[in-house]
Amino acid sequence: MRDPLLLSAALVAALAGMGWLALAMEAHWPQVFAARGPTPRTSRMLRVLGAAAIVTSLVLCLCVDHATMAVLVWIMALAGAALAIAFTLARRAHWLRVLLPPRCVAGPG
Amino acid sequence: MFQNLRLAMAWLHTWFGLVLGFVLIVVFFFGSLSVFDREIDRWAIPASRFEPQPMPSFEQVLRPAFESMQPTRAAIDEMRPRVDGPMPERFDTVVRWGAYTTHRDPVLGVFAGYEVPGAKDPEDSIWADRTIDPRSGATLPDDHLKIGSQFFYPLHYSLTLNWYSLGYWIVGFAALMMLVALVSGVVMHRKIFREFFTFRPAKSRQRSTLDLHNLTGVVALPFHFFFAFTGLVIFAGIYFPVTHTQLHALHDRHEQIEAQETGLPHDRARQPATLASVDAMVAEAQRRWAAKGMAGDVGFLAVQHVGDANAYVSLYRAGTDRIALTGEGIHFKASTGEVLREDPPTTAVGSINEFLTGLHLQHFRHWLLRWLYVLGGLTGCVCIVTGFMFFVEKRKHQHAKQGEQGARVVDALAVTTVTGMLVAACGMLVANRLLPEAMPQGWPGRGDFERYAFWALWLFAMLHAFVRSAPVARGEANPAWREQCVAIAVLAVAAVVLNAATTGDHLLNTIPRGYWPVAGVDLALLATAGLALVAVRRLARRATAATGRVRNAEAAHA
Repeated sequence: MRDPLLLSAALVAALAGMGWLALAMEAHWPQVFAARGPTPRTSRMLRVLGAAAIVTSLVLCLCVDHATMAVLVWIMALAGAALAIAFTLARRAHWLRVLLPPRCVAGPG
Repeated sequence: MFQNLRLAMAWLHTWFGLVLGFVLIVVFFFGSLSVFDREIDRWAIPASRFEPQPMPSFEQVLRPAFESMQPTRAAIDEMRPRVDGPMPERFDTVVRWGAYTTHRDPVLGVFAGYEVPGAKDPEDSIWADRTIDPRSGATLPDDHLKIGSQFFYPLHYSLTLNWYSLGYWIVGFAALMMLVALVSGVVMHRKIFREFFTFRPAKSRQRSTLDLHNLTGVVALPFHFFFAFTGLVIFAGIYFPVTHTQLHALHDRHEQIEAQETGLPHDRARQPATLASVDAMVAEAQRRWAAKGMAGDVGFLAVQHVGDANAYVSLYRAGTDRIALTGEGIHFKASTGEVLREDPPTTAVGSINEFLTGLHLQHFRHWLLRWLYVLGGLTGCVCIVTGFMFFVEKRKHQHAKQGEQGARVVDALAVTTVTGMLVAACGMLVANRLLPEAMPQGWPGRGDFERYAFWALWLFAMLHAFVRSAPVARGEANPAWREQCVAIAVLAVAAVVLNAATTGDHLLNTIPRGYWPVAGVDLALLATAGLALVAVRRLARRATAATGRVRNAEAAHA
């Protein structure tokens, strides 16, 4: 039971990481929040958060499998996550609001 | 010739991508299906629908099976031109027995190779194959095609064009040009990072198609690159056939020296000898693997020079827990059971090769990674299809004005290789469930009819695509896309219904039992049907809108 949970967590981390990286971009923030942004500070924070989530995803993969296999699972999970985020942005962009608490969005921008 | 590098790359990407895209989409699609080849096998051969089995006892199951094997009449006829003098009716000198299984195989494939007296090349042998139920040793009918591993998988790497290994060369060239397409695509695409997540379905069709092409190409770039590259590595021996052409003598000498060094006899001693207990050798091999911290089952078992004093038994571990395809081979003297040799740890180059080939061939036990590979493969398909569509969208209005047929031909070929390929694959599964268990005496085998159904349907889809392609020459859409999507939906649902009717393994039975190999194929077929219907609806809506526009324009003229 432990391995499926860790792998699911790795997938969620990859998804959140890609989501945060997308929100950090000027092209995608307005799609999600229907407002201008993000501020340079928020953008930087989102990038750090995204990178951290992606690294977390790798660590979780490494907890489950032999390193050679974990790296493959991770790279493929990132590809899947990036696709999922791109399609969400295209069709249901507001879903990505779950990635950021509303008070972070309300700031100047 | 070109003003700058980017234009040169664009030319390369467009034209090589277009021509080899028709090959690559077949490679990508059937490669994706091959990830679950053993599961498709079970769907196609209901007699093999039970749990995967470990390598059975040699003494009780394998040996009787091996001893009762003989090459088929077809194999003998095929061998005849390679022999001086008459061809014997029976073959008794066994060069090699082999049995191979994975953690996903309920039934076991076994093979035997025999010496052929008078063969023009003394190293040439004649082979016999069989599939057995490892629980009882019972033989499965020879003509039942394992659609996954014996048809979809070979389509993936050789297009089943075996004449002078032509298929391997076409696929290899396509893989090489795919690497070129990836590099040139990256050079052409100016905004890799800025448009990393960009897909704008609401924009013009040309724009949104290109978005999807870039998206699917870029996010799965590591997958595309590694699979094209490792595919070439796996068949490097075919693409650089050095040992079997220029250096034949050196190659033979090398084999002899290697045999001296490893202590594994290269030739028969021509003295008969008995075979000690192979089951005891298996137990010893497993003990040694466990002692190395690599406990595991036997994946491949082979007996070389059977019945001879020089005979030896090789046992390889089934590699399920890592990517690298390592066998950890242990070799035993067949007559006594003593260990002749344990394969030493591989060199750095060897390990890299094992990793690269293992990455592609995926013998590991990891269902999530398998599904992610399917995702990668299908992403590649989307990338290629959107490439075709972009090519057509960009040119069709201009071609319509100039009265050229280029866009029309490319579009018809795209229909053939996209929806037509799916029609053929789903239709083959329908044929599999409709054909009788045994074909009448003197007819081609059951598996041959399944192959004929596949190729006939694909050819029919191609004719249909071309016959219906006239609107493309006027800058409109080919209705064949929509019509073939309907055919896909009908055939996919028919395959699921026929599977339920002929075997009783419907989803209400297989899902509660957790029998995922069969349930998975059924669910994938239903998902395919669902997607095909969504496509039909969208294409129909678009067609109505287009007719509306034409009517309005005509009304305005009147």
